[in-house]
This record gives sequence, C-alpha cells and structure tokens, in this order.
Amino acid sequence: MECVVQGIIETQHVEALEVLLQGLSGVPKERVRVHELCLKSGPSLGVVPSEVRLLCDLAQSTPSWTIRHVGGSMRGAGAEQISVLVRAIVESKASNNVLRYFYGIGYKLDHELLKIGFAFRFHRGAQITVTVTSVNKLPKLHATEEAVPITPAIQLVEITAPAAADNYNDVVSAVTAFCEYLAP
Amino acid sequence: MPPVKWLMHWHPNPGATLNSQILAEASGCAESLGGSKDGRWKTSIIFYRAMARDGASAGAGGAPPQQPPDVPRELLGVALHERPGLYFSILRSHRLVLQADAAFPQVMEKLQSYKARVTLNFEGFQYQLGDFCLRIGKCVPNNSETLRGIMMEVEYYPLSSIEKSRAVMEDFFDIWQETLAKKSLPGHFIHVESNFSEYGLSDHYSFQHTAVQYATCLQQLMAAVTVRG
Repeated sequence: MECVVQGIIETQHVEALEVLLQGLSGVPKERVRVHELCLKSGPSLGVVPSEVRLLCDLAQSTPSWTIRHVGGSMRGAGAEQISVLVRAIVESKASNNVLRYFYGIGYKLDHELLKIGFAFRFHRGAQITVTVTSVNKLPKLHATEEAVPITPAIQLVEITAPAAADNYNDVVSAVTAFCEYLAP
Repeated sequence: MPPVKWLMHWHPNPGATLNSQILAEASGCAESLGGSKDGRWKTSIIFYRAMARDGASAGAGGAPPQQPPDVPRELLGVALHERPGLYFSILRSHRLVLQADAAFPQVMEKLQSYKARVTLNFEGFQYQLGDFCLRIGKCVPNNSETLRGIMMEVEYYPLSSIEKSRAVMEDFFDIWQETLAKKSLPGHFIHVESNFSEYGLSDHYSFQHTAVQYATCLQQLMAAVTVRG
C-alpha cells in the first residue's frame, strides 16, 4: 500500500520549493528522470481489463526497470475521513527485456511519459518521498531525447509513503503533518 | 556471478517406471564418491495459463475455458532455491526469460490476465564433493507425493564460463555415469542441453541460465512421461 498526496506548482516557484524541501528534509536532492510506459491488456486477455506501468530509471548510469501495478484506492466511510489517498501498490524490479515480455504476453502500449525533476527521500514519522517533476510527452515512440513538457508552466508535486494494513493511519498522519509545511 | 551448473534428468528404459529406489541409489552414489550431505533444496516451477475475458463464465457453464487468441497459451514461473528474492518468468514461445523480484507473482495475481494453475517442486538433498555441489531430487506436484521425475544439479564452483567448464563437467558426468551403472538401474541420467543463445544469454553463467535449464528439463521430463503413456 502507499499513501499519496498530489498537487501542482508553477514552474517559477520550483526553485523556492526545492530550497524549502532541502531545509525540511536535511538530505541531498536526487535527480529524477523516469520513462514511464503504461501498458494495457489486449481486448480478449484477462478476466478483467488490466493496466501495468513499466518505469525505466534513466537517472542512473545503467537504466533499471521496475514493474508497477497500481490498485484501487480505499473507499467508504473510513476513507472519507482520511485526507490522503491510500491505495494498493505492487512493485517488482525487472530485467531490461520486461517491455518485450509484456508485449509477448499480450499487453499493448497505451501511452508513455518522461518525468524529469528531483526528489527528496527522508524519514519524518514515515518514510516519505517528495517528487517534483515536469511531465513530458514523447513525440515519437520511445524518443526520450525529444520529450516536450505537457504543461510547461506547471509541474507535478507528489508526496508518497509506503504503508501496510496495520499502520496506514500512522503513515497518513505523518504525510498530512508534512504537507502542512507545503501549503501555499 | 554464479558458478556454472548442469541439470540432468533421469531417463527410464522403455517399459521401466520411476520409483524412489532410483533416488536412493543416486544419493548413495554421491556419498560413495565422497560427497557430504549438507542440507535440502527446493526449486519450484509454476505453470500460468492465459485467461480469456469471459473465461469465468465459460468454465461455470461446463464448457472448457476459452484461450484468448494471439497470446501464448502458458507462461512458466521459476523460483530458484539459491535466490529466494528473485523470480523468473519464461515465455518459451518468444525465447524470453525475465528476471524479476519475488513480488512478481503478486503483480500477475493483480493483473488477472494469467492464472497460476500447477506448481511442480524439484526437491531433495545436496552434497558437497570437492569443487562440485550435487543436488539430487525428485519432481513432485505441490501438495502431492506422486513422482513425476528425478533430476540432479551439478554445480562447479571455480568457473562461470560455460565453454571453459565444458570439459570438466563432461569428465564429471562420465565418472557419475560409470558409478551409477554399477547399480544396474533401469535407466540413465541425460544432460539437459539448452540453447542459451536463443534466449539471448551469454557464455557467462547466470541465474537466468538456470531458469532456462529448468524449463528445458521440464519439457523433456513431460515428453518422457508422454512417451511412457
């Protein structure tokens, strides 16, 4: 599971946000350059239609791949009282033939993005990651070098923290408390 | 870099059946060669079947589940004893071996596009024999004792190059066959020859090579069962 809060920020304020996050976290900034491929199952495959994301981390000298399945978010009366999104997540590292593998088992590319920016990972009541990225579209298939921002004046801010069924309330409290520092 | 490993499986003589006596004799041979028993091992292979969009309702009506068109009929999952944190998935139709984490089966479960149907376990004892490690084991379905096959792993610690180790592995295999032949058992071990280059694998041995050998071994075991009827 993970707890997630998402927001947007004007690009002109990103530098100030970076300074704030540096001060709050006390850790060095990490570079983010992730090629995200969203795959969907073919029309007759699977009990239900399914979607899976393949993330290729291009920030490292050797690209590394992660398979990510995002499940449904918590719903109901309990969820309505929580200020952050709590959802099921399963991730697995994978070898670099993972895209060919999913094509081979009947998945098709629905869309792809390139996220460029930075992240801070730190512990403050929970293991929190704050990621600030420009989301870019690729004009040609897999052409990451030619990516262009979808919204040049706006960047995405994501605050995430892993959680489990027996501790998500504590994680939610930690994330909510941290988000207070980022309120405009 | 893991050391090079050969897989071998027991090929019964025509008309002969598999039984645990063969396993006991093979283990006895390992000990007679000076092998010291040092623990158990278990590798599992999981068969996944593709699920059709309306597969559930087709099964409930008594009709056989539909196979979705244009996708492989099955996938193999391989969980190796020596790397519990890793999981391998083999797409034989595409000659592809994916290396992933132990969380990968959970991804497949969430996707519901392929369902795990049958698990076969390869399990037994391992023996240290100088620079070699022998693992002799049976192939049984999960939660069953029905013997489906007998196989062994031979690992040679000093080398990771498949070509450079070929001579020493062949010599060992010859010694092994000679020792076992004295028991006059109704069959013999066969080396599982896998075409690693078809899977894009190099001369440097890796866990992916082991996963491919298990897939090939299983194919040969099942072919032998089919022939025996």
